[in-house]
Amino acid sequence: MMRFILRRTLQMIPTMLAVILIIFVIFSVVPGSFITSLMAEGRNATNAQVLSHLNEQFGLDQPLLVRLWNYLWGLAHFDLGISYRTREPVWNVIEPRLWPSIKLALSAMGFAAVVGIPLGFLAALKPGSIFDSGTMVVAVSGLSLPEFWFGLLLMYVFALTLGWLPSFGYQPGSIRHIILPAIALGVSPMALLARTTRAGVLDVMNADFVRTARAKGLAEPRLVRSHVARNVLVLILTTMGLQIGALMGQAIVVEKLFSWPGIGSLLVDSVSVRDIPVVQGAVLVIVLWFLVINMLVDVAYALIDPRIKVG
Amino acid sequence: MLTRLSLMAALALGTATTALAQDATPKDGGTFVFTAPYGNSITSLDITATPHTQDEIVGKALNRSLYKWNPDSGKPELDLAESVEKSADGKTYTYKLRDATFHNGDKLDADDVVWSYNRLADPKKALPGAEQMLQIEGVAEFQDGKADHISGVKKIDDKTVAITVINLADPGWNLMSNYAPIYSKDYPEDQLASKPNGLGPFKLANYVPGSKVELVKFDDYYEQGKPHLAKLDIMLMGEAAARDVAFRNGEIDANVLGPVQYEAYTQDAALKDHILEVAEVYTRNIGFNPKIEAFKDKRVRQAINYAINSDLIIQKLLKNKAYPAVSWLPTSSPAFDKDAKPYAYDPDKAKALLKEAGYETGLKFSVTATDNESWGLPIVEAIIPMLAKVGVEVTTDPVDGSVLSDKILSDNFDSYIWSNSSGPDPLKYLNCFHSGTSQTACNYVKFANADFDKLLDAAGNETDPAKQNDLLRQANNLLQEEAPVWFFNYNKAVMAYQPWVHGLKPNAMELAIQDYEDIWIDDTAPAGRK
Amino acid sequence: MGLRFNFVLGLVLVVLVLLGALLAGHLAPFDPIMDADLMSSELPPDWEHWMGTDGQGRDVFSRVLYGARVSLTVGLVSQLINSVIGTALGVSAGYFGGWWDDLVNGLTNVMLAIPSLVFALAIMAVLGPGLPSLLIALGLTNWSWTCRIARSSTLSLKSQGFVQAAKTAGFGDLNIMRTQILPNILGPVLVIATLGIGGAVLSEAALSFLGVGIRPPQPSWGNMLSDARELIRTAPWAAIFPGLAIFATVLGFNLLGDGLRDMLDPHMRTQRA
Repeated sequence: MMRFILRRTLQMIPTMLAVILIIFVIFSVVPGSFITSLMAEGRNATNAQVLSHLNEQFGLDQPLLVRLWNYLWGLAHFDLGISYRTREPVWNVIEPRLWPSIKLALSAMGFAAVVGIPLGFLAALKPGSIFDSGTMVVAVSGLSLPEFWFGLLLMYVFALTLGWLPSFGYQPGSIRHIILPAIALGVSPMALLARTTRAGVLDVMNADFVRTARAKGLAEPRLVRSHVARNVLVLILTTMGLQIGALMGQAIVVEKLFSWPGIGSLLVDSVSVRDIPVVQGAVLVIVLWFLVINMLVDVAYALIDPRIKVG
Repeated sequence: MLTRLSLMAALALGTATTALAQDATPKDGGTFVFTAPYGNSITSLDITATPHTQDEIVGKALNRSLYKWNPDSGKPELDLAESVEKSADGKTYTYKLRDATFHNGDKLDADDVVWSYNRLADPKKALPGAEQMLQIEGVAEFQDGKADHISGVKKIDDKTVAITVINLADPGWNLMSNYAPIYSKDYPEDQLASKPNGLGPFKLANYVPGSKVELVKFDDYYEQGKPHLAKLDIMLMGEAAARDVAFRNGEIDANVLGPVQYEAYTQDAALKDHILEVAEVYTRNIGFNPKIEAFKDKRVRQAINYAINSDLIIQKLLKNKAYPAVSWLPTSSPAFDKDAKPYAYDPDKAKALLKEAGYETGLKFSVTATDNESWGLPIVEAIIPMLAKVGVEVTTDPVDGSVLSDKILSDNFDSYIWSNSSGPDPLKYLNCFHSGTSQTACNYVKFANADFDKLLDAAGNETDPAKQNDLLRQANNLLQEEAPVWFFNYNKAVMAYQPWVHGLKPNAMELAIQDYEDIWIDDTAPAGRK
Repeated sequence: MGLRFNFVLGLVLVVLVLLGALLAGHLAPFDPIMDADLMSSELPPDWEHWMGTDGQGRDVFSRVLYGARVSLTVGLVSQLINSVIGTALGVSAGYFGGWWDDLVNGLTNVMLAIPSLVFALAIMAVLGPGLPSLLIALGLTNWSWTCRIARSSTLSLKSQGFVQAAKTAGFGDLNIMRTQILPNILGPVLVIATLGIGGAVLSEAALSFLGVGIRPPQPSWGNMLSDARELIRTAPWAAIFPGLAIFATVLGFNLLGDGLRDMLDPHMRTQRA
């Protein structure tokens, strides 16, 4: 098992390098720069000559390849560089955003699991029924909502009209503040989970060993509990893992709408002021999160179902 | 060299249209929840490292500068100095510093002033606040690398500093800037961005990047009996629709309003009595690039001004949260001509002018624009059908803020829509249209007119305030006639506040910048605030 | 068995939207851009303006119809690009194997790891807003699933008799891929593309919210929704109708995709979470 983890970790390196290269190339041709972003407000005619010293300070006067080399060299020493915007090490900028991001991703997934999995199970028990088709329409609806539209509706209904929940913001340790953003972010994985669960249950129900059990006269409820549940678990776990891994990057819109201080809103802010080192760092964190979660899913996979060999 | 004169004294900027409830005795204690509406994050807690209003909203609570802006009188006044003496030649100012204490317990002395200004002007640090130092003697040499410090700032004794400037203008206009505060020279510089140490009325309690800044009363603040608030929370909320919900829900105590909400709030009986309005000194405009052949012709530029129904746009899209622009200088400027009228909406005249200029058909240009609701794409969308009626085809070139300034400074545009500072100092801002001013400085439309230059040069050399003002008024009127831009509007800034909030001021420089030490909340505040 | 009703519902929704887009020129009572009268802005729905007017005084119904063109173009074209890239890479990787397979696999992993919205946002920052940039941004960032499925299907087909027979008969590689393999994987690719169309329409809306969508004044559902978000209290119709249009369209394509999947290959159901 340890060898498997080690190998998977090593496999991440080329992926990460490719990501760095892609982002580096994209942002080396992006129009606008950090310096022009300082003048974007159009006020007080910020002095261009004063700001031109910034180019030297950030090493932007050096050739592209030198800059790439310097970045990689720093990275090899676990140094993400200095943020143009805050003039602090990039890690200091990213670190406070990590926990809120992870919390939001996990809460959204929690909501998705609590609603989506039972929905999928119920739908699969009577395939083809009105209940099944209705459930699926509801589930797929979750996949069909523009997030910020849905988020705004949640805000209006639950914060303003009903007054049950705060409409925005982040309070460490407060569950009330996370509910609305988590639901807004969670509807789409909820729908995916419902769909996957239903399909998985149907597949297993039609599989030979279940048919045999049914033929032997095993009662339906017990059947569901013992055979089906365990076999579908692997599938659900995979889906959830993939989704948790992707949610950190998908949260951009929800974070912006609810003023949630996660990696996604940091990324959008940094792109708009062209704070390239932070953009690089934030993308790396999002990608690393995805890769690590996927590896953990594979490990869990092997633990649940010993027939699957890892390594 | 152009000089700024004491006519600034004649400036009356504070034009509050809503009287504030100025109850007699402020009450101490409680929490005020404010918002920083220009984004979901701030750049840095070190205000010298950023030129953004969003950061200034926080910096204003943490720091103090040598001077401060008085929103009521419309003038700078001494803040960290008790008194100042001007030398006979009018260029050297000697300041007696107050007894003031930094958040970490250090006492303010002359070395702090010398160190702070040298740090700001240091070219190696490239701080945006260096802008405010340029009037001081020796800063140019320091910036060019010909000197290793500012020669014009000198410590006389522990409590006395002498500052020499290069012209006759009052240095208060620069040194009042919230971007040029006084820091403690003994405090580690690398801590400034995360653990700020200022002289302001509030000190940092908790900063959640991307979410909020929580501040608490600083007990040793130099002004007796201030601040009134025990706690000040600044929420970083860029999304207007979300701010609206939060304000109505009582989660925030003050909210800078956009046009749609301005209209909604003024029509809402529960909200309309607690709205603060002020004419800010920004001019919204579409600048025409003379690189486009047609824009070289004055008649074409005038025709566009005639063809657009600005009043209707202001009424319907901006919901009257703006004043129609006449020329460049805003209505509050002393050089504003009270008799001047804006360009009338007259499509027939526009057509005639275009025909005369040879552009009856076929004129086509794009407008580079951000998505700002008051000076961005929605405005361009509104003028597209209006200009189509006079045979002019307009397309949009949507960009980020950083690309907008990039395209303008690199002369890569047909036209742009922007909001630019146009006050409080008329000479400084009219000078942006002087042919000697470069495009990268602020002559974005490369305006060059000999008569205009002559008027401005004369104004710069005029020592009699009344005569100078007269010259500036003529220049401003000439600018209207020449129409280097489409004169759209002057901003009306609007802030809604909860009924329990007192002491907000109609700051014409920027309404979101408030004197926090004067704000207090009364007994009607909800339990969570008291 | 299955959800025939949902499939039909999806088909009906998609056909309606397609008709709306195709016939926009005939159905729309107003010009979506030039018929803007600020005097009649924010009017509630009535007989003249079935869905009311927006903040600029434009007919929301007409803009929803013309917006369908843009949104569907974004959805269909970007998925076409994704399908072509994904299929070409996946089939060739599975067929040739070796270093090419490794390379394609690596690239797929990279594409899977960068969230497509993040990637699209970066591409839009470079290219600037507009329809062509949007097609590129969404067309280049979502092919990894197609690629994976195409590759694994090709791998299993390659070992089967008819492909081997074609090889022995001396057919060229390209020929075999085109005639023997491609027809067999079109089904799954079509399903993924159908489901992806909905995703692309939503991405367009999200990018509009982030300020990098279609160039105004051209209407797309995303920028209509984004522009109207502040009017949600005073002129809710300006936000509700484009929102419903997106919802109905995405729902339609999703149901259609689910149905297609059930019909084409019941075993594929679980492949794409």
